[in-house]
Amino acid sequence: MFDTSLTLRDLMFLAEGAGVTILVTAISVVIGTLLGILFGVIRTQLGPVLSAPLTFVLDIFRSVPLLIQLVLGNAFVGMVLQIQISGFTVACMVLSLYTSAYCAEIVRGGIEAVPETTRRAARSLGMTWGQDMRYIVMPLATRVALPSWIGLALGVMKDSALVYVVQVTELLKSTQILITRLQEPLFLLLICGAFYFIISFPLARFGGYLERRWSND
Amino acid sequence: MFDYTFQWGQAMARLPRMLDGAVVTMQIAVLSMALGIALAILLTVLRLSGSRPLMAVATTWVEIARNTPALFQIYMAHFGVASFGLYLSPFASILVGITFNNAGYLTENFRGALKAIPDTQSRAGRSLGMSQIQAFRYIVMPQMLRISFLPMTNQMVWAILMTSLGVTVGMNSDLYGVTQDLNALTFRTFELFAIAAVIFYVITKTITLGGRLIASRLFRY
Amino acid sequence: MKKLTLLAALAGLVGIAGTAQADKLDDIMASGTLRCAVVLDFPPMGMRDENNEPIGFDVDYCRDLAAALGVEAEIVETPFPERIPALMSGRVDVGVASTSDTLERAKTVGFSIPYFAFEMAVTANTGTGISSYEGMKGFTVGAVAGTYEAIALEAQVNEWGEGTFRPYQTQADVFLALSQGQLDATVSTSTVAQANVQSGNFENIQVVGFAPFDTDYVALFARRDEYGLLNYLDLFVNQQIRTGRYEELYEKWVGGEVPRLTIPNAHR
Repeated sequence: MFDTSLTLRDLMFLAEGAGVTILVTAISVVIGTLLGILFGVIRTQLGPVLSAPLTFVLDIFRSVPLLIQLVLGNAFVGMVLQIQISGFTVACMVLSLYTSAYCAEIVRGGIEAVPETTRRAARSLGMTWGQDMRYIVMPLATRVALPSWIGLALGVMKDSALVYVVQVTELLKSTQILITRLQEPLFLLLICGAFYFIISFPLARFGGYLERRWSND
Repeated sequence: MFDYTFQWGQAMARLPRMLDGAVVTMQIAVLSMALGIALAILLTVLRLSGSRPLMAVATTWVEIARNTPALFQIYMAHFGVASFGLYLSPFASILVGITFNNAGYLTENFRGALKAIPDTQSRAGRSLGMSQIQAFRYIVMPQMLRISFLPMTNQMVWAILMTSLGVTVGMNSDLYGVTQDLNALTFRTFELFAIAAVIFYVITKTITLGGRLIASRLFRY
Repeated sequence: MKKLTLLAALAGLVGIAGTAQADKLDDIMASGTLRCAVVLDFPPMGMRDENNEPIGFDVDYCRDLAAALGVEAEIVETPFPERIPALMSGRVDVGVASTSDTLERAKTVGFSIPYFAFEMAVTANTGTGISSYEGMKGFTVGAVAGTYEAIALEAQVNEWGEGTFRPYQTQADVFLALSQGQLDATVSTSTVAQANVQSGNFENIQVVGFAPFDTDYVALFARRDEYGLLNYLDLFVNQQIRTGRYEELYEKWVGGEVPRLTIPNAHR
């Protein structure tokens, strides 16, 4: 029924692309999350006025198409700064900052969801700011933030399909290369779509489960 | 060797064409949102219908929209469905792709909003003699749309950003497409895309702030 | 004409503190690798074999250049619209990417003398009945965004005042759209048109004639200020022709009469 010239070697080629997609996503999500937590905490600590410059910069990453961020990041690093780094590195850098901008919002939302009174109670028990953050804010904020964070991580994986623009051959690009040679667009696109779905769907469900579970108590 | 010389003049001379592109980008985004909201309401009704096949349709739509890349969806709308002999123009392809995506995400937003509306309300409506459809139409839906207003402005921003993917299906009249064409002509990548980025920023910021302003005026609880 | 003053000042400091600057040619020889931007969905200039490894005229040309420089060749796949960004961002050293040497582009990058020349051919979907260049009037036509033929074809469609022009990101997408019937006809280089028709992947397309565009001379490109490298490229192209390697590669990948790379009554 499926008359295809797709060989095992081509499947390996697709798998390689999938590996790149996962690698770019993993690196960007880890770095982006760490930066995002840092930015989020800074924003809540400084208040809206003092943190305005940071807010502005992070806003840019959420207001300009990722495709343009990648093209510009690539052109800036190479043409203006004249630093020689690979497209893979540029992709990870831009995606990390992009992730951090969204993550900072999630972290801020999480921290602000912890009632002020709870935190004051902690401080009046003699806890330091650090202890308050570590033992009171973090556990409570994580419950609010984790489901959104899972959504963000999956979003980054899907958005990583755009890094082809800086010459990184990820899954969708590998698929297009095979379409060029085999001319079986629908079949190959379905394989590609299925791959994203298989990774994304269970994790998205898990996020939804956490959200439901934690919002009940 | 930090010797790159910016040629802003060359890029700025093309600003009018880029602004024309921005108008097309706005058109796509607005249309895809209008259609997306309508479809999302339909999908929400299907989800509430209690009929298994209808619920399955809605769920499949939502999960595919949310779990595959937007670029994939748009590429599919053009090259994928053409395998069935259905040809969409670049404009139609990008519109269908983004609408598909919008509808999926908005349906999920609506689901969240519905949770905030007590079931007792629609039961009260039913006991007043309204049909199930009427109860949804006149009691639940207005509140649902109101609660999801801010998420909708976020989705609108996403729609604007997604228009940049139109180049993969042959669009060249939207802001990203115009910028790319000009880049091919002059090779002034950095300057042209920086200007495009500023235009995108202004558009999305206007939507976000405008949305908040409207929300604070209209929906004071 | 604004320079980044701060960065320029920094550059000055580095210049004073550092040793004499090596140019790109030195860098390539020192690194042992020549990175070429090549378009890999542009048969027979650049494509992939069944192992998905790059092959084609441009790929061989890059390898020859690397061999002449005594370094390894690295083929960096770049879609047409990404050629210049890839060069400017230092991801590649030189472009062997069938790039038309227009004056507008030469304001940004440096071109060698032409290393290849294309005639433009019209390929049509057989279902449309298009049989010539003029026959495309009123139909939906397309080409690869940012190429010589795309710019000329879009201008032609605008002049005709009817029909539509659609640019796609890659040559592969153009032929895919053509065979699916989303496009009625396309203008591409005749070599690409022949290669795609002969590939046997598409049953319903055929080359129906030539497009009356000027001959499309394509050149190697490098950063505009790398005179040493550009100078080397000029000589390399000349040597390829002198030694017969150009004809050899043409026979291997294209076949037929070798296009002339000189312009009558011109100095260069």
